[in-house]
Amino acid sequence: VLSRLGLLRPVHVVSLRRLTALRDVAVHDDSVCIGALATLRTIETSTAVRARCGALADACATVASVRIREQGTLGGNVVHADPAQDPPPMLIALGATAVIARADGRRESPLDGFFTDWFTVAMEPGELLVELRVPALTSDARATYLKFLPRTADDYATVSVAAVARIDGEGRIADARVVLGAAGATPIRAHAVERAVVGATPSDGAIDEAAALVRDEVDPIGDDRGSVAYKREMARVWTARALRTVTTR
Amino acid sequence: MTIEADRVVAGTLVEPEYRIDGRAKVTGTARYTADNRPEGTLEVAYARSPHPHARILSVDTTEAEAMPGVHRVLTGADVRSLHLGRMLQDWPLLAWERVRLVGDRVAAVAAETLAQATAAADRIEVEYEELPAIFEPAAALAGGAPILHPEHDTYRYLRGRRPDRRHANVQGERVHEHGDIEAAWAAAAHVFEHSFDVARTYQGHLEPHVTLVWMEGERFHVCSTNKSPFRLRSQLSTSLGIAADSIVVEAGVIGGDFGGKGFSIDEYVLIVLARETGRPVRFSTPYADDMRAGNCRHRATISMRTGVDTEGRILVHAASFVYDGGAYAAAKGNADLMPGGGVTSLVGYDVPAARVEGMCVYTNSIPGGHARAPGQPQASFASESHIDLIARAMAIDPIEFRLRNAIRDGGTDSRGSRWRESTMVEVLETLRREAGAARSLRPGRGRGFALGARASPAGRGGEALQGTVAVSVLRDASVEVLTGVSDQGAGAHTMMQRVVAERLGVPVTMVTVRHGATDDAPFDLGVGGSRTTPVIGGAALAGAELLARRLEEIAPDVPVLRQLARAAALGDVRVIGAFEHVAGLHSTYGYAVDVEVDVETGQVRVADAVFVADVGTVINPVALRGQILGGFAAGLGQALMEELTVHDGVVTSAGLGDYKMPTAVDVPPLRIVLLSNPGGGPFGARSAGELANVSVAPAIANAVEDAVGVRVDSLPITAEKVLDALRARGRHRQPDRGQDVAL
Repeated sequence: VLSRLGLLRPVHVVSLRRLTALRDVAVHDDSVCIGALATLRTIETSTAVRARCGALADACATVASVRIREQGTLGGNVVHADPAQDPPPMLIALGATAVIARADGRRESPLDGFFTDWFTVAMEPGELLVELRVPALTSDARATYLKFLPRTADDYATVSVAAVARIDGEGRIADARVVLGAAGATPIRAHAVERAVVGATPSDGAIDEAAALVRDEVDPIGDDRGSVAYKREMARVWTARALRTVTTR
Repeated sequence: MTIEADRVVAGTLVEPEYRIDGRAKVTGTARYTADNRPEGTLEVAYARSPHPHARILSVDTTEAEAMPGVHRVLTGADVRSLHLGRMLQDWPLLAWERVRLVGDRVAAVAAETLAQATAAADRIEVEYEELPAIFEPAAALAGGAPILHPEHDTYRYLRGRRPDRRHANVQGERVHEHGDIEAAWAAAAHVFEHSFDVARTYQGHLEPHVTLVWMEGERFHVCSTNKSPFRLRSQLSTSLGIAADSIVVEAGVIGGDFGGKGFSIDEYVLIVLARETGRPVRFSTPYADDMRAGNCRHRATISMRTGVDTEGRILVHAASFVYDGGAYAAAKGNADLMPGGGVTSLVGYDVPAARVEGMCVYTNSIPGGHARAPGQPQASFASESHIDLIARAMAIDPIEFRLRNAIRDGGTDSRGSRWRESTMVEVLETLRREAGAARSLRPGRGRGFALGARASPAGRGGEALQGTVAVSVLRDASVEVLTGVSDQGAGAHTMMQRVVAERLGVPVTMVTVRHGATDDAPFDLGVGGSRTTPVIGGAALAGAELLARRLEEIAPDVPVLRQLARAAALGDVRVIGAFEHVAGLHSTYGYAVDVEVDVETGQVRVADAVFVADVGTVINPVALRGQILGGFAAGLGQALMEELTVHDGVVTSAGLGDYKMPTAVDVPPLRIVLLSNPGGGPFGARSAGELANVSVAPAIANAVEDAVGVRVDSLPITAEKVLDALRARGRHRQPDRGQDVAL
């Protein structure tokens, strides 16, 4: 995409097509291990993913059209680091980890913090993203991915919200993660919103109050999908909707 | 979706058609223009302007000419006296002295490969002096505005003397008046005034404009995606000073049109390159360039004022249309240099007195051209929104208001034309019945109506209404129709096949349709103005009639298959089918659209829609369905999302990733109800191509107001605009729905 836009003129291009081992989805120690070359369609239709972190399958299912999802890979999607992509906010909200290979071994990096700027990730030359590890959602947690598409089903999000919440035995929100897509240079974790809802008993008032904080956490650009002011407002609306979804039993 | 036809013709026409071009397209063997690449073909790339308006101080091609693979670099200086255009030739083949839009072609490179041509084009050094640019029509007419075409007096106008204009920055204008206007204003009980804005949109043909030119001896062979090959030949001949019979234009399989394929830009400069290099030369327009420097649908600002009596009957109407024509008028084919239906105010209503004026203005942006029903969606959005606002203000049911004013037989429309027959009332009655019967509105939903009509086909006489085909019996006793009409995907060739088979009483498999180049086929004006089925279909029917008579002479009183066998043995049985369609008929239609509005986001979702149209006898039932559904989808796009956004002359949505058009899953179910009052085409067919896209937007705007009480008066009706309107009214929550519109 970047080279087609003239933003990147690669001297060499290395094909990963024959690294078939990186296409698999496996389960280890209650984590889903997704090969970097697994297609978005594979994840969308994977029973292992559906059973453990179904919201990730849902997020992948919102990417463009089925033709694109048959070709596009999760690893490519992540390292491309377009902030309007759908899987990254959901991966961050689910607490996923990137496994990165290099000549002298492997390292792991939480996906939260992995995206550093527009189209930029915390990787060095000589490194290759090989796997994404997603912990299974616990039985007391719920997750959702909401993508606001006022134009067409295959569009980029005007704004998107990935949310995960865990409700404790008292019915209070024990833990929450809220991550927004298409709302700044990278996926944006809404820490203020999270802090405001943790410990609260879910109610319309509590959720609306917390969601209002997201306006100052996002930093969207104005474009054909809406002005800056509109996107901030939509971040609020969809954050509230996402929180309602994950806190409603 | 159901198709209900009141009247069908027995025989071939009741069967769903088998597309003549279907197998080749599905199997990938159909040859589009871009599939032709003769040995030795050179590829072409352009150096384009980065400025919306600038003087060219110098062009240095030295480095580019020395690049590998480069055969020729052409600049404006090489072709400086030459301009192109369909009616007004105001677009230089290559810019010289000045550029007038971002993406204007400054120099052309022909090289062995596209990569070489592109690399060389990148090395052309152009020195510019930026000039003040005009982005708004109002600014173009203001005192002290820069004149974008100081040399406008020297431009060739292809139809006699170019009409006078009030300002040098005006491309064309038109004023119409009829009736006793002053008396009517004085008599009006109420006067309503509203104004509207419509965004620029892109036609959206998936195949870009492609051209291949080579020389055969002294003749230029032009392979083009242009859907009007004979007109292109004449435009090329006039512009370049080459005799028409030295140019052969061939339009092969065309990959979508939607109005954009009647205009050519690159054929001209490619002819020069082919002559100078002696090699075939080819150009395939990059999609982004097609969108930013092609020929978009005109942006418009429209104001309307209407006086009615106490019962809501229209007495008098005034309208002003201002179109943003962009940098060149070249893409428009009409004598008045306005988008075709540019001043079609209040179509379908009786307007006893009116003054309607329209103007198309130069700006430093994308040249306006033809897009499916040029001018009509703009006019319809304004007209049908205006009508709805008046009905609402007078508390008259929207269908009832339209019924009171619908044009009837002998009525006068806003252009002063008398309708000899009108099916507008029947459309309205049907719409009321169908919309009411099918659905009851849930709270939070709203319903909007919009009517429309167009001349069937366009044209008040002359070439547009005349068609000619040649019909022959081949050696194998089959029948061949030879036509100059290229099939741009709408099914023209299948239509001709069915008409001829129906008339002769033979299976469709015995009739083939051959598309000929301009040196082979009979003259034809080209696909456009919804003329193909009524006019060319009429010619095919006339040809079949003549052939039937001829066969009866050759072998009287025997079955047609034996007649054909006899004719084949005889050899050289060929007739010319010529037809002239009557002027002044109309195809009428209307929409009822239900929407749901998300009051927290402003998002509008079309929940349901019904389309009623009088298209006369149906020749290609499957293609008709495609035309109507495709038109609905196009209308939906224009209504809710499509806009070629331009900032400081730069198109910021020049790609289908940002410029979104509805996909299959975005188009809600559409119910189609067809009336079948016979028209003037073959077996009573009427025009159908440019109906379904026109009135979707006003129906949606009207439905939005019905649902949540706010009016959006500009297209597209984005979620943000709806939310802004809701906020402006201080209404954040779903309002209690009052009484549903009585139906």
